[in-house]
Amino acid sequence: MLLSSSIYFVFLAAVFLLYWPLQRWRAASLAVLLFANLFFYARWDLNYLALIPAAAFLDYCIGLGLGAAKSRLLRRGLVASSMVLNLGLLAAFKYMPFFLGAWGAATGAKPPEWHWVFPLGLSFYCFQSLTYTIDLYRRDGKPVRSLLAHMASVTFFPTTLSGPITRVLALAPQMEKTGRALSAEDGGRAFWRIGVGLLKKFLIADYLAENLVNRVFDTPGLYTGTETAVAVYAYAVQLYYDFSGYTDIAIGSALLLGLKLPENFNRPYLALNSSEFWRRWHISLSNWLRDYLYFSLPGLRSRRRWPTYVNLFVTMLLGGLWHGANWTFVVWGALHGAALAVHHGFRAARGNPPPGGWAARLGARLLTAHFVIFAWIFFRASSLDNALEVLGRLASMTVSFANVSLPVAVVMAVGIAAHFLPKKYTEWCSALYVRAPFYAQAAVLALVVLAIEYVAITGAAPFLYTQF
Amino acid sequence: MKFPWPWKPFAVMAAFAVIITVPRFVPQWYNWRVYEWETAGSVLDFQPRRHPGQPFEEEAERLRPTAPAAEDPLKIADPHGAMEAFYVSLLRTERREPGAVTRILHYGDSPVTADLITADARTLLQERFGDAGHGAYLIAKPWAWYGHRGLDVKSEGWRSDPATLRGQKDGWYGLGGVSFTGAAGAWSRIRIRKPGHTRIAISYVGQPGGGELAVRSGELEVGVLDTAAPEEAALRQWFDIPPQEEEIELRVTRGKVRLFQVELFKPGPGIVYDSIGLNGTWAGVLAWHMNARHWEQQLREAQPDLVILQYGTNESGYRKYIDSTYPRDFVEVLRRIRAAVPEASLLVMSPMDRGVRESGGAVGTMPTIPHLVAVQAKLAAENGCAFFNTFEAMGGPGTMGRWYMAEPRLVSADFIHPLPAGGRIVGTLLYNALMDGYNAYKQRVLRQTVASGRQPGAVKPQ
Repeated sequence: MLLSSSIYFVFLAAVFLLYWPLQRWRAASLAVLLFANLFFYARWDLNYLALIPAAAFLDYCIGLGLGAAKSRLLRRGLVASSMVLNLGLLAAFKYMPFFLGAWGAATGAKPPEWHWVFPLGLSFYCFQSLTYTIDLYRRDGKPVRSLLAHMASVTFFPTTLSGPITRVLALAPQMEKTGRALSAEDGGRAFWRIGVGLLKKFLIADYLAENLVNRVFDTPGLYTGTETAVAVYAYAVQLYYDFSGYTDIAIGSALLLGLKLPENFNRPYLALNSSEFWRRWHISLSNWLRDYLYFSLPGLRSRRRWPTYVNLFVTMLLGGLWHGANWTFVVWGALHGAALAVHHGFRAARGNPPPGGWAARLGARLLTAHFVIFAWIFFRASSLDNALEVLGRLASMTVSFANVSLPVAVVMAVGIAAHFLPKKYTEWCSALYVRAPFYAQAAVLALVVLAIEYVAITGAAPFLYTQF
Repeated sequence: MKFPWPWKPFAVMAAFAVIITVPRFVPQWYNWRVYEWETAGSVLDFQPRRHPGQPFEEEAERLRPTAPAAEDPLKIADPHGAMEAFYVSLLRTERREPGAVTRILHYGDSPVTADLITADARTLLQERFGDAGHGAYLIAKPWAWYGHRGLDVKSEGWRSDPATLRGQKDGWYGLGGVSFTGAAGAWSRIRIRKPGHTRIAISYVGQPGGGELAVRSGELEVGVLDTAAPEEAALRQWFDIPPQEEEIELRVTRGKVRLFQVELFKPGPGIVYDSIGLNGTWAGVLAWHMNARHWEQQLREAQPDLVILQYGTNESGYRKYIDSTYPRDFVEVLRRIRAAVPEASLLVMSPMDRGVRESGGAVGTMPTIPHLVAVQAKLAAENGCAFFNTFEAMGGPGTMGRWYMAEPRLVSADFIHPLPAGGRIVGTLLYNALMDGYNAYKQRVLRQTVASGRQPGAVKPQ
């Protein structure tokens, strides 16, 4: 059940209608949420019904243990067992085919078949779950006493597939609070986010993917250098609108249930450097990597600088691998790790540069954006060979735009312009929508659906980040 | 405690539900409906467990023809013996009779445009029966992804008019469905990766005041084509080329010329397999956009033993067309081919599966595809043509979804166009089906020969 499918909205409406009448009874409303979450998992695969509740229950128990334990050794043991549990889940149910393939390649033996793969959402679940036990280990919060609240927050359905990765200690207290009301303003904002998310997904991301990006990356040899370059730019636009569209729908869905999720994007291609890019792109993952991986690596308090650079590189390398067991993600992570290390080194040597004039800022933005877009080639390519093929076409210097249709160019232009549009304009539109009477809000949503129906006739592709 | 019911959001949802439901009950707005409430119950459909995509070898093994002939979608349905003429020619070619060339014209839409299916069928047939040349190739690339395996073309200065766009009022688009017009300086260079071709034929329009085209093979000037003629006529000029040459250059040296295709031949016996992919084509293009007399002349000159028609991908998006004028268009295409080359076999090849994303995210078959395939099978049977059910042979409903999930991927993300590995499977399926029919034919010939005591070549199969 994709967040962009009509069936998801039937499901969301049903949850809404069940949840709000039971709001005054904490256990009942939590039970509705937990049931909805497990239903959502089960729609993907019934096996999740055994896997996720069992893992969540173990983390709940570990959390209680961490709240009670005084011994440092015991606390370490508990947090380590949570890490083994969650990373073990990832290794067994997501990365096992990769490990078996590597083992087969190394030994020459035929690797055994492994059909127990549950890739959808597992990375996000595990990271979300780890925030809980690591936060408790660091004494950044108190254990969630209610099993229902813990399980409902760690499996919260809008965040299941692609985040935003939400700290359990931030979400559970919201869920535990009884007697909450959904104001007309929050309701309006929720519908606005959902509508905008659908437009981003269908009218920009999917359109570019179907009409240019996928074709070029599937068979780069059939396209000229300039067409390939346009497809690479188009992929940068597609990825942003696909993922931020998903995030908008997730945030809007949660808001309809009176729950606030963290933002995940802030016009990322406006970043002046790679460090700033990661404060604007997939913010919840960047924060997770910083708080739970980078800060945990040894050597951070060293007086020497190189451990910082090594840690940045390692963090991004592992962040790359988190996206999937493929060498392309390793290269992508390494490129970003190297860029972050270079930027930190530059800043350490020269200090924070002054803001500079508009030309300098524009140059910095263009340089950063182009580095990011270059790295996306590895992120999108199906294999390293495929990435090299795309790079080879870019280097061919062949010129033709025969395969870039006018609608594709227009959609790209609209996408780029909307990304750079100052926030005050989008906020003004949002406020206008929120103030509108209910029938106008409904009519606008219907228009959005109608536009999507007549443009995206082949149906929505899965959100790109659901595979990670 | 006050009951915290969110009235306004609820009102928005209710109003939205009403708005999207209204078109169901207003006949004038029926086409504006965006949601079928009957499908809401599918929220309770739980997905069966899916395994990762099947590897290519497993898929190929699954597609191996083993099922009995009568119900086997991997075989050609030929109740009227429409393939006999092709098999007769193939037998002569296999016997290596002098000059025994079997020529196959394979017409198709976008999946054929990049020679993906046809290249594999060509390779397999030529490996077994010999290579009598590449066949027809367009003068330039009318679409960026046009290309044939074994040939490269670079060109400049041509205006291309595909039959789909009706750029030429006279409806003359040659054998390949595209007309090219170029003034002095326009050129095409065709690079041949498998040399050995000894003759080429250039199809052009002879016209009053027509220009001149220089034909070179490598460094050698093999001839000059003067397209001037007292009146407009579609003509064909042959040129001999040295077999070792790997490049043919056509250059307009004077005036304006209008060309269609160049055909490349090797000394037979062997197979010539022409891949004629017309991007975005539907039956109506061959039936009405192309001038009937001109196309029939082009077909007659090509002298095919088998004409394959593989269309339907573009039609599948228009259910109303399939149920209204499509049968008329399709029968007209068959009639035109029959009129041009009555002695040739005619094989209707159904479209491949076409995927569509379903509400749950899975890729299913576009509902019109099985319907269209059934319509084609019926029309083929009614008009005495053989029929190959590509859709079922590939694996039937849901194939595109499975092929998309396969590792390596067999089909592109639009769930329409095969990738090279997918094209290889479909090309192999076609080859296997042709060979099954051919082997059955040979067995019949052998039985009749034994029974009559005559020479096999003298037998007219029943």
